Amino acid sequence: MIQVQHVSKTFGCRAAVKDLSFEARDASITGLLGSNGAGKTTTLRMVCGVLTPDSGTIRIDREAELVRARRQRVGALLDHTGLYSRLTVKENLIYFGRLRGLYPDVLQHNVERLISILGLRSIADRRASGLSQGERMKVALGRAVVHSPHNLLLDEPTNGLDVPTVRSLREFLRELREAGTCIVFSSHVLDEVRILCDNVVIVSYGAVVSQGSAAEICSRTNTASLEDAFVQLTSVVESRIC
Amino acid sequence: MLNQVLVIAEKETRDALRDRRSVVSSTFYALMGPLIIAFVVFATYAGQNQSVLLAMISIFALIAPFTGGMNIAMDTVAGERERQSLLPLLLNPVERTSILLGKWLAVVVFSIGSLLVNLFGVVLLLRMTGIHIPVAASALSLSVTAGILPLALLAASVELLISTLCRSVKEAHTYLSLLVFIPMAIGMFLVFSPVARETWVALLPVAGQQLQFERLLNGSPIELLRPAVLGLLTAGVAILILLLAGNRLRRDEIVYGN
Repeated sequence: MIQVQHVSKTFGCRAAVKDLSFEARDASITGLLGSNGAGKTTTLRMVCGVLTPDSGTIRIDREAELVRARRQRVGALLDHTGLYSRLTVKENLIYFGRLRGLYPDVLQHNVERLISILGLRSIADRRASGLSQGERMKVALGRAVVHSPHNLLLDEPTNGLDVPTVRSLREFLRELREAGTCIVFSSHVLDEVRILCDNVVIVSYGAVVSQGSAAEICSRTNTASLEDAFVQLTSVVESRIC
Repeated sequence: MLNQVLVIAEKETRDALRDRRSVVSSTFYALMGPLIIAFVVFATYAGQNQSVLLAMISIFALIAPFTGGMNIAMDTVAGERERQSLLPLLLNPVERTSILLGKWLAVVVFSIGSLLVNLFGVVLLLRMTGIHIPVAASALSLSVTAGILPLALLAASVELLISTLCRSVKEAHTYLSLLVFIPMAIGMFLVFSPVARETWVALLPVAGQQLQFERLLNGSPIELLRPAVLGLLTAGVAILILLLAGNRLRRDEIVYGN
């Protein structure tokens, strides 16, 4: 479970995140929906501990912990795949597993399982430099979950992927949800969020403007579709603090 | 923590060694000194002007650790930033100090490797040209270990600091190329300046190593204390610079790409 409470973050004159709060439950997929520059990426970066919030609290599995311990409980795929091009697919997975302190036998088991689940068997020993975008995304996803985290953060993971890859990604995320994983999934693609997410958090200019299931949000805004609700909720003007 | 440092160092070293073109260019760079010295040997009729020759040998030995670590240093932080692989790395439950130490160890490996290649080239050159230098092998190894190897630690620290300050490989390459001129400039200054005779100069990192190496090659008596103190001072400065780089790596800006 991820609880974000009254979190704010400012870069220079721009308030990227303003008093933002939401909760992502276990065994569910929470969609963080917002336009480009709405603060989704900054929020996810703060949740996984690479950015420090100016104020507010972030709790993972109900505990406010040190950033390092928080990172242990979370797997994340943020922004870009960032694979090591001179390492093979397997070596990329193993490297991150070793950094997370997995025992060799556990690591070996997890890597083999992920290679099988994500369909990476035929490219397991190929260097990452020769992979397609879809393959890179799968490897990066495998790397994010190599330690079997209870919480998973994904920042626009379907960007630039073809339909079969998107479908297999959705299937993988559903399997993780069934296994009890708390997944936070950021996107600006409404259909993606509608299809996949149990709970939707709409963010506009760094603040939460609505949250709930897609049906609840539509009902609250008196609109027929999530797209209409999104447009209505996000049509406010950005404010600067200086 | 130590385990994570070693995991990172191992990965960085393996990764850099797979960049064959970079390894080959670094090796050529390390052997460039002996090659230039060979030209000087021919120009001075088989090394008759030996003081110039010895000064050049020591200057190129000082440059070697800087050139050797340059490619991996720029690739390991600025390059990771540019390729956007630094952010995934920082998502791991690893202290940023450990990440930096791991990368630093890998740069040190390449800096020392470059120094050894350079010395090997010099020895080969001297053998081929028949020039005799009055220095015992044991004295050479002692001096190199105590005084000059810590220079590789310093070179790795400075290069990593520059790499953490840069946002792209191109930018890091510009500054790191300029950095190589600093030991060269110090070395040349000391060849001609009377200040080289002052005791305090011998304890300055880079300058101290230049004087020590030159004394050694001249056949001057070997002192144990001076290389040891110089080595400790150099290692101390290397740690201070590494702390600065660590501080830089802890900032929020580091997670943003270009």
